[in-house]
Amino acid sequence: MATDGLEFAGHSLSRASLDACVKCTICETQCPVAAVTPLFSGPKYVGPQAERFRNGESVDHSLDYCSSCGTCTLVCPQGVQIAELNSQARAVMKADHMPLRDKLIGQTVLMGKVMTPVAPIAKAALNNKPIRKVMEAVVKVHEDAPMPPPQSQTFEGWFRKRPTPAGPFPRGPVVFFHGCAGGYFEVETSKKSVEVLEYLGYQVIVPKQGCCGLAQQSNGLFKGATKDVLKLCDDLRSAGKDLTIVSSSGSCTGMLKHEAHEIMGVEDERLKDVGTRIVDMMEFLLDLHEAGELPTDFAPIGMKVPYHAPCQLKSQGIGKPALEVLRLIPDLEVVDSGAVCCGIAGTYGLKKEKYEVAQAVGKPLFDMVKATSSELALCDTETCRWQIQKSSGVRTEHPIYLIHRAYGLS
Amino acid sequence: MSRVVVIGSGLAGLVAANRLADGGADVVLLSKGIGGLQLGQGTVDVLGYTPERVTNPIKAVTKVDKGHPYAAIGAQGVLTALSYLKELVPDLLVGDPEANYHLPTAVGALRPTCLAQPSMLAGNLKAGSAVVVVGLRRLKDFQPELVAGNLARTELPDGGRVSARAINVDAVAREGEIDSSGLVFANAFDDPAFRARFAAMLAPQLNDGEIVALPAVIGLKDRQAHQDLSTQLGHPIFEIPLPPPSVAGLRLNQALNARAQAAGVRMVSGVRTVGFTADGDRIRSVRNATVPAEREYRADAFVLATGGFEAGALSMDSYGTVTETLFGLPLVGAENTPLIHGDYWGGEQPIFRVGVAVDPQMRVLGNGQPVYANLRAAGDLIAGSSRWSEKSGDGIAAASAVLAADSILKEL
Repeated sequence: MATDGLEFAGHSLSRASLDACVKCTICETQCPVAAVTPLFSGPKYVGPQAERFRNGESVDHSLDYCSSCGTCTLVCPQGVQIAELNSQARAVMKADHMPLRDKLIGQTVLMGKVMTPVAPIAKAALNNKPIRKVMEAVVKVHEDAPMPPPQSQTFEGWFRKRPTPAGPFPRGPVVFFHGCAGGYFEVETSKKSVEVLEYLGYQVIVPKQGCCGLAQQSNGLFKGATKDVLKLCDDLRSAGKDLTIVSSSGSCTGMLKHEAHEIMGVEDERLKDVGTRIVDMMEFLLDLHEAGELPTDFAPIGMKVPYHAPCQLKSQGIGKPALEVLRLIPDLEVVDSGAVCCGIAGTYGLKKEKYEVAQAVGKPLFDMVKATSSELALCDTETCRWQIQKSSGVRTEHPIYLIHRAYGLS
Repeated sequence: MSRVVVIGSGLAGLVAANRLADGGADVVLLSKGIGGLQLGQGTVDVLGYTPERVTNPIKAVTKVDKGHPYAAIGAQGVLTALSYLKELVPDLLVGDPEANYHLPTAVGALRPTCLAQPSMLAGNLKAGSAVVVVGLRRLKDFQPELVAGNLARTELPDGGRVSARAINVDAVAREGEIDSSGLVFANAFDDPAFRARFAAMLAPQLNDGEIVALPAVIGLKDRQAHQDLSTQLGHPIFEIPLPPPSVAGLRLNQALNARAQAAGVRMVSGVRTVGFTADGDRIRSVRNATVPAEREYRADAFVLATGGFEAGALSMDSYGTVTETLFGLPLVGAENTPLIHGDYWGGEQPIFRVGVAVDPQMRVLGNGQPVYANLRAAGDLIAGSSRWSEKSGDGIAAASAVLAADSILKEL
C-alpha cells in the first residue's frame, strides 16, 4: 500500500467503488451544497462520473466547492465512496498550488497555542471589524465567519491543577480524548465530559495529545495530516493498552475511526488499534444504557431544545446516540433538526469565497434552531457549534452539558 | 419495552418501522443508504396488469395464483395496509382500493396505480378532455411533445380519447443554470413568488377548458403549491412523475421518514448489515459493518426488508447460484433454469420471481416451516411476483410490512 497519501489519492483511491454507481441520483438530491449553488454541479457528476475522465488532472474544477460533509457517501445505497473520491481528487488537483490560507487554517494547535495566553486580546481581535477585514483581504477568511472562542485556561491546565479526584473508580480506567478544540477552545465541554465519566465511576486518564490532522486532511494536506494522526495514535496508546478511548470531539473521532484510512490510505496498526478503541462520548453513554449500566436517575430539565447531528458523526454509521441518551432526561423535549448540514464543514465555511454558500447550506438549520429555542441548542462537534451559534444567535453546546446538569453536577 | 430491528428503509422497511413503533415497540431501523423509495413515482401500485390492465386492484388481488405474495397476504392484508398508508401520510396519498387511477407517465402512456398524490389526480382523464402538456425549457427530463403525442394516440381504458398539445415555458429556476434538475425546479416552485411569475408566463398560452399537465416538480415542501398554481392559472393541473431525481418520490420518502422519526423510531443509516448470531431457531442479533469495528444490534424480533437484486439483498454468482446475502435464507424460484434467458424483448425473465417463501405472518419458510421463529420478511425479497411488469411492488411491500409488524406485536 502506498505510504504517500497523495499517491494513494491519485491512483488507488476509492476508485474501486465507482463502478457500483448506478446513477440513481440519491446523492444529488441530498447534497446540501448543490441545493444552494450552481457552482457545485453535484456529487454524482463530480464524483463517480468525472472520476472516469481524470488522469492526473481534474476535468472539473467545481470539485473545490464540495464541502466534504460526506452526506453523499452516507446516503448511497450502493456503497460508492463518493465523498472520499471527491476529497482525494481535490487534494490531487490542489497539490501544486495550495493556497496559503488553506495551509494556515489546518494548523489548529498553533491557533490554540497562540490565542490562549492572550485570550482577552484574541477575543477582542476576532470581534474587531477592521481587523477581520484585514484578515479577509490577506488570508481570505471571511470577515463574518465564526471563530473559535479563546479561553484563558486550557483543558490540560485545568485537569492538572484541579484537586486529584478521590475516587473510588469501580468501573476502572478510560482514556479521554478531547481534540485540539476541546483542549484550547471548548474547554467546558472537556471538563464536563471528564466530570460525567468520573461521576459514573471511571478513572479518567488524559494523556498529552496532539492534533488528529483533520483540518489539514480536509484541505488536501495529506502529508502533514498523516504525520499528525499517527503521532496522535502514539499519544493515545501511551495511556494504556486495550483501554476504551472516550472522545467528546465528534469530527476528530471520525478521522481516527475511518477518514484517515479511507481518504488518505493510512495503513498502520497504530491507527487500527486506536480507531477500534475510540468511541464518541454519547455513543459510549448509549452503549452503557443498552447494557443496562447507565444510571438514569436524571433530574428533570423542563426545556425544549433543538439538536443537530453533525455530518461527521452521522458518517460514523452509529445513528444519533445523543438523541437517545437525552431522551432519558425527564421533561426534556429534544427536537432533531432533521437538517443535512450546518454548512461549516470544518473550515469550508470560513473561506471568503465559500462563506455565502455555507450560510445558505445552514439556513434551514438556523431557522429551525431559532424557531425551537432562544436559549440553547445542542450539537456534538465544535466548528458546527460555532457556526450554529454565530448564525442563529442561540447558544450552542455539546449534549454533555445537559447530561452533566441532569446528574446534578452543574 | 421489546426491541425490534427492521433492516432496510424502502417502502416495506418504513411501513414496518412506523407500524411497530405505533404498536409500542422500541424500533431500530438499519439501512445502508436512505432507501430507494424516492426513485419511484411517489404513488402506490397494488396490481396494474395480470397481464390485462386492472381496473379493480383488490378484486384482482383475490385471483392471483398460489405462490404469488398476495396469496399469503390476502385482500384484507392489502386493505389494512392501504388505509394505514393513507393514515401515515394523510395529505400525500389518496385513492380507492377498488379503482385504479390511470395516470399519464413521462412518455405519455397511461399507468395504472392505486394510491396517488392529490397533485396528480386531474391526470385521471375522461374521454374528450383537452390536455395541454407544459414543458420547462431548462428541464431535460420532460419532453412535452413526446407526452402529448403519445397521449393523443392512446385509447383510454374506458374507451375514447383525449386531445393533447405541447407547449414550452422558459422559466429560470436558478440564475446561472440552463440545465436545472427537477429538484432545483421543485425548490423554486416552493416559493410563492416564483409560482406567480410562472403562472403569469403560462396563463396567456392556455385555451379555455384545458387541463394543464406539468412535470412533477411543483414544490417539494409546500403541499399546497399545486393548488395555488391551479388557482392562479384558473385551470385544473396535474403533475406527471419524472425519472430520478423524482420529486414525487422524494415527497413520499421524506414524509414516511419524518413520520417514523416522530413515532420514535431510532435510525442508523450509512452502514450495511452483514452478519447475525442465532440461538437455535431464534435470531439474537445482527451486525453492522461499521468502520473500523462492527456493531451488534440485539432484538427480540427482526424484519428483513432489504429488497431484491437491485438492493444487494439477493445476489447471483457467475455459476448462476442465487443467495440471500444476510442470513443465507432458503430461496424459491432459484431452481428454474435458465434464470435469465437471452431474449431481451422476449417473455418474462424467471429471475424476477426468485425470493423467500413466507407464511401469512410473513415468517420466512424453509421446507414449509419457519426458518427462524422471530424473523419476518417484507417487500421485494418475497418470492413469486414480477413486480415491474405487474405493477405490484408497492402493495406487496406495504401489506407484507403491516402483516409482519402486526404478528410481531401480537407476540411481544
